[in-house]
Amino acid sequence: MIDAFNNINNAVCSFLHINPYIQGVVVLLCINIIAILGMAVLTGFTRLFSFGNAGFMAIGAYAAAILIVRHNFNFLIAMLIGAALAGFVAFLLGSLTLKLKGDYFLITCLGFGECVRVLLNYFKDFSGGSAGFPGIPNYSSMLFSVICAILAFFIAWRFIHSKYGRNLTSIRENEVAAEAVGINAFRFKRMSFVFSAVYAGWAGALYAGYMMYVVPTNFALNKSIELITTTVIGGLGSLTGSVLGAMLVTLLPEVFRSLSNYRMLIYGFAVVLIIMFRPNGLYGYKEFSLKRLIKKLKGEGKTETRKEAA
Amino acid sequence: MSNEVNSPAADNRITQLEEKVTLLEHKLAALESKNPVLEMQHVEKHFGGVHAIDDFSVKIEQGQIHGLIGPNGAGKTTIFNNITGIYAPDAGKIIFMGEEITGSSPHRVAQLGIGRTFQNIRLFSNLTVLENVVIASGKDATYNLPQAIFHSDKYLKREKLLYDKAMNLLEIVGLQDKADERASSLPYGHQRKLEIARAMALDPKLLLLDEPAAGMNADESLELVEFVREIRGHFKITILMIEHHMDVVSNLCDYCTVLNFGKTLAVGTPAEVKSNPEVIRAYLGGNE
Amino acid sequence: MFLQQLITGISIGGIYALLATGYSLIYSLLDFSNWAHGEFAMLGAYVAIVFANMVGVPFLVAALLGVCGGALISFLCEKVVYRHIRSTGAPNMFLMIGAMGLSTIFQQVANLVFTGQYRSFKFKLPVSTIEIAGAYLGVLDLISLILTAVILVFLIYLINKTKFGLNVRAIACNSRAARVLGVRVDRSIASVFLLAGSLAGVAGILYGMKYNVFPTMGNIGLKAFVASVVGGLGSVPGAIVGSLLLGVLETMVSGYISSSLRDFFSFALLIVLLLVKPSGLFGVDVQDKA
Repeated sequence: MIDAFNNINNAVCSFLHINPYIQGVVVLLCINIIAILGMAVLTGFTRLFSFGNAGFMAIGAYAAAILIVRHNFNFLIAMLIGAALAGFVAFLLGSLTLKLKGDYFLITCLGFGECVRVLLNYFKDFSGGSAGFPGIPNYSSMLFSVICAILAFFIAWRFIHSKYGRNLTSIRENEVAAEAVGINAFRFKRMSFVFSAVYAGWAGALYAGYMMYVVPTNFALNKSIELITTTVIGGLGSLTGSVLGAMLVTLLPEVFRSLSNYRMLIYGFAVVLIIMFRPNGLYGYKEFSLKRLIKKLKGEGKTETRKEAA
Repeated sequence: MSNEVNSPAADNRITQLEEKVTLLEHKLAALESKNPVLEMQHVEKHFGGVHAIDDFSVKIEQGQIHGLIGPNGAGKTTIFNNITGIYAPDAGKIIFMGEEITGSSPHRVAQLGIGRTFQNIRLFSNLTVLENVVIASGKDATYNLPQAIFHSDKYLKREKLLYDKAMNLLEIVGLQDKADERASSLPYGHQRKLEIARAMALDPKLLLLDEPAAGMNADESLELVEFVREIRGHFKITILMIEHHMDVVSNLCDYCTVLNFGKTLAVGTPAEVKSNPEVIRAYLGGNE
Repeated sequence: MFLQQLITGISIGGIYALLATGYSLIYSLLDFSNWAHGEFAMLGAYVAIVFANMVGVPFLVAALLGVCGGALISFLCEKVVYRHIRSTGAPNMFLMIGAMGLSTIFQQVANLVFTGQYRSFKFKLPVSTIEIAGAYLGVLDLISLILTAVILVFLIYLINKTKFGLNVRAIACNSRAARVLGVRVDRSIASVFLLAGSLAGVAGILYGMKYNVFPTMGNIGLKAFVASVVGGLGSVPGAIVGSLLLGVLETMVSGYISSSLRDFFSFALLIVLLLVKPSGLFGVDVQDKA
């Protein structure tokens, strides 16, 4: 089945003249988008900070890899199981730790992420240890990854614009008031955590299919930190903003290849500057809206103070 | 034949019927309950060594506006927090509509039908006025996750119901024109109204108002008094309110309970209570 | 063997404690986790390296300059970045994210300027050992231990018995009230950052003496974070206890079980502890007034 997908992908890509290098960049972009969308729901909309989502990516990646390579599972099913497993672990972990105050919750997530990495390193027979787990077939073609990313965005959008998203936002805005209007904050926080874990697992599984080889250090603390800071850069409270943030973080380094030595330095500065001067991120609370964009373009150059929306 | 069942006219009819059922439920509850709406029996709450509430009992009958008054630190908000489950009493019982709710969690208490406002207005600041009320109508959002993602019929119907109900509430309180504005951009008095409208979205049988007239001048307080009276009249609801402004209490409350140091000092109509010598001493004698 | 491990554990715990106490102080004042704390130690160590190895001043002078370096960096972070973020009324998490950004910047700068090469102090450090009750204790470890103990005792004295410490504790309780009562809040906060930075500088130099100096050594800041949380965020005695506990546990696990599982046990301890005592060993459960 993988071959079928890949053949279609190759046909489409050669038709559109997309060379393998760009295909690779797009795949990485899609992987990042999916992981970041999960973080957006958790951190942007619920204001929970987790420093361990790389651990969920690892679960998704290794689960998919092991199922496909050792047990000949179909790659779609393996990915599904990987993401679901990540979600399940998040459910258990969150049930224990979501009662803790913010900074404490954060560090248990951090601890979790590190524990996953350490355990993957230790149980060599199971995971390949620090040498990694090789031999994963390449199922993350560009086409498939783009489909995944679009699907992920669609689901997240629908989720956020329903009672689920509203309840999460209300918990963020004022948890005491949310409880006072009948919202079980703990249950929804856990839901948000599971959501972010499922998406992280999904992204991890996709990553495994792209790199064809996974190593525990792919999913170290740095990755978790990168997920959080990218979400902040894109804007807390905006799905489109998060996608934009993911694009910036993935694509800019490709554009400015010559500055690759300074990539992390520039990134660090970006985080500090944004948090100092534009803490709502590049997009803030608002989602991208065509109406607003057109209004803005029309209003350019006029000296009127306000235009009422038509 | 099957088309008729799914037509907009049929949907409207269903919505109307649902609203009627809710109203009837309320009336039935009111009729059949010789029970007080809220009863607190010998409730105690301490923090460390301090008795915030000491052997507190009260009975609040259906349709009353009951005032809870007393100097600062007397334990009034603590009583609210015990009712709504933010704290669990160390002793005693709290009974709502005949059911014991002692120690229930805040969201459960809200779902059972107790709405509240807060001393320092707690709105969802960055959300719109309409969204603030919609969020409180979660009871009606009975769809599940797959239905939400795929926008099933049930989801669409329920969402429309939610938003219509919320708009309705906004119209009743006079905020419908500000529906799409950020909640934090409203003037103070309107924010208070919004908080009350949001609490009403729970279809509550009891409304707890914590110093609703706080931070208001004489004119605004008057407007608020009228507003609360209208709410009680329109929704046939029971109200327990904490208030400092004695004129608000006199104008609005049928009965009141005076608290001092967590203990009941006096119970009665505002007139009776105002002339009670012990009450006068508690307010005027001693420091605040 | 057990005694050996214990002493090594206490020794490394001491270094963690120097970091964790500064960390907890900052947390108690500003309610935020200074993610860049480990980098203060790293930069302090590099300053000392530069002066000791390249400029060629005597070791103690270089060490002192390193401590000052740590203090200065800490102070600048507060003055330039943290204070600004606070003034925008942003939630505390944003301070932490700012700290994360600073941490990245410092690591990258150190990497670019000094490269990833492991460095050590050029002059001869004592490598002899003393025998105590069958265990061999390195003289270096002993010096480190004694120094750390002296500093921590001095710190506790500072917090509990001086006016400065009183001001800090007042601000930690209620900064608005403290300000109204005449405490120079901003100045006290700046002083705490200087203090915490100095402690971090000492920690960095001690670590560099025992092991090596390299750009990512700031990761011991993470250990300090864990130790602070175990001891209860915001509590100085808690930070000390947590650090010693962590240091001993790590060494014991490395010695008796497996060094690769060391971090697993540390974090497992953390999670289990938090489940039993949600605000850490010495932490205080604060109930929010509705």
